Amino acid sequence: MHTQPIENSQPLMERAKLSQFYQTHKYRFAVFSRFLAAILGGYVFTAVFTSLLSIILPLKKSDAVLLSISLTILVYSCVFIWVFAIKSLKRIWITILLTTTACALCIAILKDWL
Amino acid sequence: MKESFFRSMTWMHTWVGLLVCWLLYLIFFAGTISFFRDEVTLWNQPALHQIATPSNRIQIQREQIVAGYDYLKNTAPDSNRWGVYLPSEREPQLNYAYEKPRPEGKRFGGWQDHYINPVTGQDVDQPRETQGGNFFYRLHFDLHYLDTRTARWIVCLASLFMLVALISGVVIHKRIFKDMFSFRSNKGSRSWLDGHNVSSVLALPFHIMITYTGLITLIFMLFPYPAMTAYDNGVRGLFDDVQPTNVRTKSNPEKASLAPIEHVLDQVYTNWPDADLTQVTIRDPNKASATITVRANTGSLVQDQSPTMLFNGVDGSLIAKTNQEFSASETVFDSMTALHTGRLANPLLRWLYFLCGIAGCVMIASGCIMWAKRIRERMKKQQTASFGLKLVEGLNLATLMGLPLATCAFFIANRLLPITTAERADKEILAFFLAWLAVALFALFKRGKRQWIQLAWLNCAACFSVPLINAITTEGNLISYLINGQWALFSFDLICLVCAALFIVQVKKLRTATSKTAPVKRSSRSPKKQLEEQKA
Repeated sequence: MHTQPIENSQPLMERAKLSQFYQTHKYRFAVFSRFLAAILGGYVFTAVFTSLLSIILPLKKSDAVLLSISLTILVYSCVFIWVFAIKSLKRIWITILLTTTACALCIAILKDWL
Repeated sequence: MKESFFRSMTWMHTWVGLLVCWLLYLIFFAGTISFFRDEVTLWNQPALHQIATPSNRIQIQREQIVAGYDYLKNTAPDSNRWGVYLPSEREPQLNYAYEKPRPEGKRFGGWQDHYINPVTGQDVDQPRETQGGNFFYRLHFDLHYLDTRTARWIVCLASLFMLVALISGVVIHKRIFKDMFSFRSNKGSRSWLDGHNVSSVLALPFHIMITYTGLITLIFMLFPYPAMTAYDNGVRGLFDDVQPTNVRTKSNPEKASLAPIEHVLDQVYTNWPDADLTQVTIRDPNKASATITVRANTGSLVQDQSPTMLFNGVDGSLIAKTNQEFSASETVFDSMTALHTGRLANPLLRWLYFLCGIAGCVMIASGCIMWAKRIRERMKKQQTASFGLKLVEGLNLATLMGLPLATCAFFIANRLLPITTAERADKEILAFFLAWLAVALFALFKRGKRQWIQLAWLNCAACFSVPLINAITTEGNLISYLINGQWALFSFDLICLVCAALFIVQVKKLRTATSKTAPVKRSSRSPKKQLEEQKA
């Protein structure tokens, strides 16, 4: 009466296991993802952002580049800290991806790469 | 990521700091010694100890260059590169060097040095082969055994973590001013926290400056992207733009006679009448593509790029000259490197750099000890230590007590290894790492308070033996250095003795702490202090 069809229970158990695995390690995943966002996301964002800066600053070319380069570390560390200050992981990833893409797009337009 | 900003930052400070603290300790330790790089190198080369600095050092530079030019012309007409390295305030010897023939497939054959006493004009015996202070300098960003590029990326990541930890450390520090003056001793992890705060806050501007500028020195590896975006040929394009003397002429093997050096020097001294020159290098001498580069000292300017002139080596005409009028951006960028290397520092400022470096080591060491101590204090009576705690305690003991011992081993090896040993410089470095490995293995088995005491005694003996062995194996000793006013050597020996004394203080502290607190194993206040001092 209450027996479940056998072919159904197998995948269900698998899924339960997976979700249990996720639940027990949820915190670890979140921490890992956050470090990834801070280190890798921060790096890519900084690279693209300062590259954009180096071509839009109204200075002599070498001066613009040197100034952007001097600022890279400041930008990187601010992003790093921001990643740990924001509560929602989803928001962090979306913000990083959007801003990075936007900056990259600006560079592409300015440099006529499109 | 936690409920409040404050708690998020505390969490991040703890974990970001703990992840890289031992590596940072190595970087700070070796970096602090590197502030005295030339002095350490001098100590490691007793053959140069007797050379005094002539009072008319700058006036006789012209004669020295001409003499060196003649010497190299006669000795190594076919070499690819010559160099005349003039004595400075920190390096007493005059050096006429040329590049040895290049082995198949190598881009550089190594220098053949020829040292001269600038006062007497006589040749100096070839000093023993050693890396000296250069070893510590390279160690603090190349980590020696690793591939250079990989090592530098690791060091950069660790430095970034350091910077982030510093910023978050300020954020979580509610009573930053008050804590600057509070130290509560013998209160378990509370004392460690106070020590951590005091060493961080007192030298905070230095810590932030040195970490930021350290990253800037490797910035073209870390972030070449702005230059790549703005210039078609990337970083090279930027360099060519900013440093006109950076031009590289293609090698042309055709024979051509060299321009008379007098002609070149006339132009140098017309432009810079009071110049304190540091070196004259000649690329492709006696060939059609010959160039002569003359560099001057930046003195105490906050500037890294030394004033340079580049001459055509065949007709002696000026090709390029560094621009001494920096724009704002150039000044910002260049001064950051200058601040990091501290070459601008006069002796007093150099000592301040050194002391701040030690404060950095104390900060890092107290941070990692505090972590272990807090976990221990929270543990219940019968609870056994987790793997993580054991790992941290082991790394603490191995790094904090191992590095000073390794440093002593390096200096002792310098004095005791026979002068004729093959690859002598490498063997000194091997002694450094073997000593460290021995401490690490020791820490693998036991990490208790007793082990801290034993290693403190060992370090004390090692520190004491460095000046002792120096006195036995060389002509000078602490007293003769004092009488002759050889301050670099005197300070070196004195610092070793100070470290030895500090290790005795550490032993005492550890002992009293044992009797007062529960039989929990851990160290007391001084280990880090001593370690750091070691570095001179």
